[in-house]
Amino acid sequence: MSKELEKAGLPVALISAMFPVAQQVRANRIVKGVSIPHPCGDPSLPKELDTRLRQEIIRTALKALETEVEGPTLFSPPIASGG
Amino acid sequence: MIKIVHVLNQFFAGLGGEDRADLPVGKLDGSAGAARALETKLGAAAKIVCTVYVGDNYFHEHKSEAIKAILDAVRVAAPDVVVAGPAFNSGRYGLSCVEICDAVANQLSIPCVTAMHDENPGVGAYREFANSGLYCLPTAETTVGMADAMTRLASFALRLARRDDIGPAFKEGYLSRGIRRIEKSDRRGATRAIEMLLKKIHNEPFETELPMEVWDDAKPAPPLDQVKNRNIAVVTTSGVVPWGNPDKFKTYRNTYWRKYNIAEVKELEPGKWEAVHGGYNVAYMNQNPHYGVPLDALRALEQEGTIGPGKLYPAYYVIPGNQGSPTVMRRMGQEIAADLKKDNVEGVLFVAT
Repeated sequence: MSKELEKAGLPVALISAMFPVAQQVRANRIVKGVSIPHPCGDPSLPKELDTRLRQEIIRTALKALETEVEGPTLFSPPIASGG
Repeated sequence: MIKIVHVLNQFFAGLGGEDRADLPVGKLDGSAGAARALETKLGAAAKIVCTVYVGDNYFHEHKSEAIKAILDAVRVAAPDVVVAGPAFNSGRYGLSCVEICDAVANQLSIPCVTAMHDENPGVGAYREFANSGLYCLPTAETTVGMADAMTRLASFALRLARRDDIGPAFKEGYLSRGIRRIEKSDRRGATRAIEMLLKKIHNEPFETELPMEVWDDAKPAPPLDQVKNRNIAVVTTSGVVPWGNPDKFKTYRNTYWRKYNIAEVKELEPGKWEAVHGGYNVAYMNQNPHYGVPLDALRALEQEGTIGPGKLYPAYYVIPGNQGSPTVMRRMGQEIAADLKKDNVEGVLFVAT
């Protein structure tokens, strides 16, 4: 799906914990998600940190949209999950 | 004597062209139209007991009635095998051949064979059904390949009627369905794997036992200059929808997408949204829907100016992505892209589970 959006000229930041699969299917801007059932955040963190982590993930995704890429490229949010 | 039913559209049954595309299902005794060409290739061992036809438009506009009428006709004729097409590059016809054969194989347990050009949209449906009772042979793009297609359909139909063992696609020449079979080997896996590895290292040709789907590259879309001044939308396959699942998404194999309004919404409160998805544990997502649609973070980034005012699209797009077939997902991607572009969205945050 994300590739069809890209083909239409829309850059896509694909936030996914299954980033090896995303690379395999040749998505271009891939942002490392935390885990499959909760890509945008980590329920094992205190609420405040979880909220911050989510913001970092989105910030990374927005930065990915600003970045020129040649092919599948992985972007990692700066703060690691505490899980 | 082997009994065969041949299914054709109105054109190949000799009943008329586009002007008769709304012809309902009908049956002619023996072979009619293109079925006569098939009959000449079958030889003395087999006979076409009847030719069943349906108009190209009628089939797609009255699918359930059409399939029911065809199943009834086939049931009465009780053939050993059903042949449909060849459809060459005709899209409606190719799709109806595949859908008819799929229904016959599933509901009557009669093996089926059809034939069409490998770029016919029917081939996508064929791979999606991956029905072990249905085979599709490749043909030329146009009717110049008629004689050849009929020869191969006839010999394949005879083999199916005799319940011959049909080998894998690359040996037998039918289009691959993506079905993996278990085969016995007298050599253990480690030995075979090492041999394969040695061949690979020596740049010799080798054959994998587990072919993977080949994905085409999408050229990366150009990056956005100053993302904070750009219109951004959220698309997700997490299946987060308003509580109660108003559009009745299934937990798997969905074929449509929806968008839900978030214009006046600051955050997604648990209990007002839920995740519909059969492929992962939705408990976390139900407790905090932001794991799939990170609206709280987007609003915070709006506050600090990382996302410009009014730049977040006022709705998010969703489907539960579980077991979606690549063909259907591609189509939905195209539809969503068209919808986004209509509203001048310039970049997408895509949350995939």
